[in-house]
Amino acid sequence: MKKTLMMASFASLMATTAMAENIGVSMALFDDNFLTVLRNGMTEYAGTLDGVTLQVEDAGNDVAKQLDQINNFIASGVSAIVVNPVDTSATQAMSDAAAAAGIPLVYVNREPINVATLPDNQAFVASNEADSGTLETQEVCRILKEAGKTEANIYVIMGELSNQAAVMRTKDIHDVIATPDCSFMKIIDEQTSNWQRDQAQTLMTNWLSTGTAFDAVIANNDESAIGAIQAMKASGVDMASVVVGGVDATQDALAAMAAGDLDVTVFQDAAGQGKGSIDAALKLARGEAVDQKVYIPFQLVTPANMAEFQTKN
Amino acid sequence: MTGITAAGLTGASAHRKRPAELNVLLGLIAIIAVFELLGWLLVGQSFLLNKQRLMIIILQVSIVGIISVGVTQVIITGGIDLSSGSVVGATAMIAMSFAQASTGPAPVYAGLTDLPVLVPVAVGLGMGALAGVVNGSLIAYTKIPPFIATLGMMVAARGISKWYTNGKPVSFPTDSYAMIGKGIMPVVIFALIALLFHLALKYTLYGKHTYAIGSNTEAARISGIKVERHIVLVYAIAGLLAGLAAIVVSSKNLTAQAGMGMMYELDAIAMAVIGGVSLSGGRGSIIGTVLGALIFGVIISGFTFLRIDAYYQEMIKGVIIVVAVVADVARQRKRSRS
Repeated sequence: MKKTLMMASFASLMATTAMAENIGVSMALFDDNFLTVLRNGMTEYAGTLDGVTLQVEDAGNDVAKQLDQINNFIASGVSAIVVNPVDTSATQAMSDAAAAAGIPLVYVNREPINVATLPDNQAFVASNEADSGTLETQEVCRILKEAGKTEANIYVIMGELSNQAAVMRTKDIHDVIATPDCSFMKIIDEQTSNWQRDQAQTLMTNWLSTGTAFDAVIANNDESAIGAIQAMKASGVDMASVVVGGVDATQDALAAMAAGDLDVTVFQDAAGQGKGSIDAALKLARGEAVDQKVYIPFQLVTPANMAEFQTKN
Repeated sequence: MTGITAAGLTGASAHRKRPAELNVLLGLIAIIAVFELLGWLLVGQSFLLNKQRLMIIILQVSIVGIISVGVTQVIITGGIDLSSGSVVGATAMIAMSFAQASTGPAPVYAGLTDLPVLVPVAVGLGMGALAGVVNGSLIAYTKIPPFIATLGMMVAARGISKWYTNGKPVSFPTDSYAMIGKGIMPVVIFALIALLFHLALKYTLYGKHTYAIGSNTEAARISGIKVERHIVLVYAIAGLLAGLAAIVVSSKNLTAQAGMGMMYELDAIAMAVIGGVSLSGGRGSIIGTVLGALIFGVIISGFTFLRIDAYYQEMIKGVIIVVAVVADVARQRKRSRS
């Protein structure tokens, strides 16, 4: 009797999950501010949709674990999978596994290496990373020019060296400086802070101790920019004489901008990417056509327009 | 755990010709000399004669240094603590959520802003000590290896730090909380903590028991030491110091983040090991660990000073850790032969 009851309840449980659209989500890591906004964007959006449930897993920045999670999603028969890849060069195996099972797959935020050869039921939703560092550096260049600089010394704070966004944004900085318009800028040193505020603080103080004159600090993310600002303020540097740029437009960064310390940041619509990826996954699951590359634009944030972004991140 | 009972009970360096700390100090001086020389050759300025650089050398290792004081004592008992970095993350998030100012956007507890600074400090120290008590009790009473017990805590505490706010950072503390880690405060706190536990290890019964357990647990038990209770105490202190480090780092950065303290446990262990603390237990000192921390600081600053490519820095750091231990082992073998 007890057993049949259990079987029956189990069967009804199976039936409900089968009727709803279940999307498996594998995030590269949970303890990253930006990815958290993206993840919350997904769950909040899914909450507004009837019969759509999300199962969100943390890959803990581990490539192998992420592939296991995807295989587990496939085995449990989800309607679609959304992946925020740990390592963008390790996506081929994920695409193959999902394609073999006929389950739609959407990459979000980080561009997979096989983006050009994705099967029809797979897509990529992100912002074009080539824009972020470019927007940031062009604005720093503009401010320096406006201040009448004919040569400018730049410190660059990079994110995690193995991260595609960090590599790309750093390349953007170099590319902008290579243009004749901004060639008066000269990078005197570039080091990593691993995206961390604390490490950026330490790095900046070490730079300050060399006594080399500089005009701007261009960071791969806001947390690093804020760390540099804190170090400069602690050493009594006049923040009006230094241009500081970051990327992400986090709450902390907007507060630093309001205080007049941070000059430039770039807004990446994390929640928009999260929502876009769920939309694409649902459409693919229902057999509808989707653009294979969906770009959510980056936006430049300066003191002039910062008010618009106060509630976005 | 190795059977040097006599040395353990009478203090680690009782009958040693040249104390291990002196070797570490010589190593520190040698590394500084290399950077000084390369500084004049490549950068054209002094490495050491720079007030700001001297400051950052110590400041940048103070927070992990606070942890390493606790880790040193754990290692002396023959144990290990892998959880301190994650405990820093979890404790920083929780303490900071009780330290937020009403002026910041979206506090975690909207009704609990502008609390007196004592509240987040007590919460932080309490949470850290609690994690330590759990570690210590698991090790002392269930007899599972310290590596496993603290590995479990490392994973679980990181989970707590992410779960607490769903990964969102906690920022905008009150001015009084921000004072704790401001300026040279981390250095002052590190120095006081190091001094306190240097005295405790060297001159009190607490210290004698700690060395005795690490040298030979059974002998310690037979001589009447309450081994289990003492192990819980040592891990509780290590947890408490991780909690203190969490308060200082979140105050210094004006933010707590779920990923905070990542790898701190390994840096803290490396500082102790470079400072001559033996992983087999029973041997080592706070002075050694402080010197180990300074070597770390000198290396980080020296690399940036010489503008060494970011990719090479970690490789060189790893080599230095291994070389320090190899030198220590070689020296011990020489001593046991003579």
